[in-house]
Amino acid sequence: MKKVYVVCAAGVATSTMVRMKVEDFLRERGIDAHVTQYRVSELSVDRVDADAIVSTTGMPDEFAEVVPVLNGVALLTGIGQQAVLEELAEVLARS
Amino acid sequence: MKFDEILAGVGNILNGLGATIVLPFIIIIVGLVFGLKFSRAARSGLTIAIAFVGIGLTVGLLGSTVSAIGEAFADASGTGLRVMDIGWPAASALAFGSSVGYIIIPVGIVLNLVLVAVSVTNTLNIDLWNYWHMAFVGALVLFVTENFWMALFAALICFVIALFLADWSVPLVRRFFKLPGISIPHLQSAGYMLLAVPFAWVLRKIPGLSKLRLDPDTTRRRLGLLGEPMVLGFLIGLALALAARQDTVAALTTAVNIAATMLLIPRMVGILVEGLAPLADAASTFMSKRFAGREINIGLDAAVLIGNPAVIAGGLLMVPVEIALALALAPLGNGTLPFVDLADGPFVAALLAPLVAGDLLMIVILGAIVMGIGLMFATQLAPAITDMVRNSAAVDLPEGYSQFTVMSDGANPISYLFYYLYQTPAVVAIIVSLLFVGGLYILKEKFPLGERLLPIADPDAKPVSA
Repeated sequence: MKKVYVVCAAGVATSTMVRMKVEDFLRERGIDAHVTQYRVSELSVDRVDADAIVSTTGMPDEFAEVVPVLNGVALLTGIGQQAVLEELAEVLARS
Repeated sequence: MKFDEILAGVGNILNGLGATIVLPFIIIIVGLVFGLKFSRAARSGLTIAIAFVGIGLTVGLLGSTVSAIGEAFADASGTGLRVMDIGWPAASALAFGSSVGYIIIPVGIVLNLVLVAVSVTNTLNIDLWNYWHMAFVGALVLFVTENFWMALFAALICFVIALFLADWSVPLVRRFFKLPGISIPHLQSAGYMLLAVPFAWVLRKIPGLSKLRLDPDTTRRRLGLLGEPMVLGFLIGLALALAARQDTVAALTTAVNIAATMLLIPRMVGILVEGLAPLADAASTFMSKRFAGREINIGLDAAVLIGNPAVIAGGLLMVPVEIALALALAPLGNGTLPFVDLADGPFVAALLAPLVAGDLLMIVILGAIVMGIGLMFATQLAPAITDMVRNSAAVDLPEGYSQFTVMSDGANPISYLFYYLYQTPAVVAIIVSLLFVGGLYILKEKFPLGERLLPIADPDAKPVSA
């Protein structure tokens, strides 16, 4: 089972939108993954236990060193959304 | 029967039904208009109804907990801070649960489409969730004027203000946050920004100030714990309860209850957003399709700005700063104890940061100025907000002694302006509102922020990953 973190500022609004899209996509692709929402301020690098992070907000650089961080803003605007989802599928396939 | 009376009758019936019943129906209808399947639309509607029940329950717990200690805290501590900040989740339920809130989503979308079509704005506000800020001002004006049409007018003026502020700050969002094609019609963060612009201009003129650098990374690591709402809730709850002379067991119970509400209320709001998500998706497809080929900025929640290190650090520093301000300003008339919205400091810092090119010290100074003024605003709005909370069907609070306010929107200069403006004769209120919008239009067209006004470096030469 893969783990995906969806991260936004308050862990409420934009991450909910993105979580729903990510879950729909993963279900369609038959990828078994657990998606959880976080606020960016409650994450710390040494406690990250995910195969990928999709963030609707900029993440401190140190996260990208331990786990692939994808920019989830496209999942909010809808523009370039498919590319991000495909990238996520690829990242999860590799991990 | 006159048309007005019929409308008033319909309005009374709707208010009698309450937000849990009315808003879901409107959401289902809007969903169907945007081409959602009935089952999906109905699911959205029911989800939203459930979210309202959940928000009502959890805000009720918060209300009863703070009611019990609020007055005692103010008396025992001698601070005089007897107005409790019950936070944006309660405010959003109040706003969407008002008669303006019922229809703000469809009416706002139509207004946005028209304004984009006539090229007055380039922002398509697909952030339906944050339409509640406009509805909040509408609810406030409804409280003042008891006139639905004035309230709706005020909410729509706020909608336009949000669009214009979003257009105005587009260069900041692109240059500072590296988010091209996005604008932020978030009335809360943008309202703080509007107030901060003149102060930012002055701060940037002070020689030597920019030499005193604070490091965002260190600050974030040191204060990281304050970024967790439940920890923050527990600590503040405990401090308040002890200051209110509760015994140890009661104080711990209070602290745990408040920690619980800090975790649970946003979860309930998450359910509301879950219900809105399919609709937002359909609306954004619908709106974008109609303006293909034009340069349009997609309007999003200020939340997309908040991962920036300077914004996180500035937001965390706002926690102690706001508490200190509240105490320091108490002799000058502040009665507000910042509380639930302390956890949302980053929303204060979000659009202040780019005004000073991310200089942490200046962000905190700007934040202190804006929130210092904001505490006064929130205190003055408290009687109105307390009454609104008590009369709202969406939020069920037990009878208590405390007064309530909300920092997120009560501290917003736009809420404050509209609250007093709409106490003047209707003609004056309407004319001043239109002048205000006109003034903003000129500002955003002639003095784009980050370019002509308060310029910051354009990083497009060397793009940095977001």
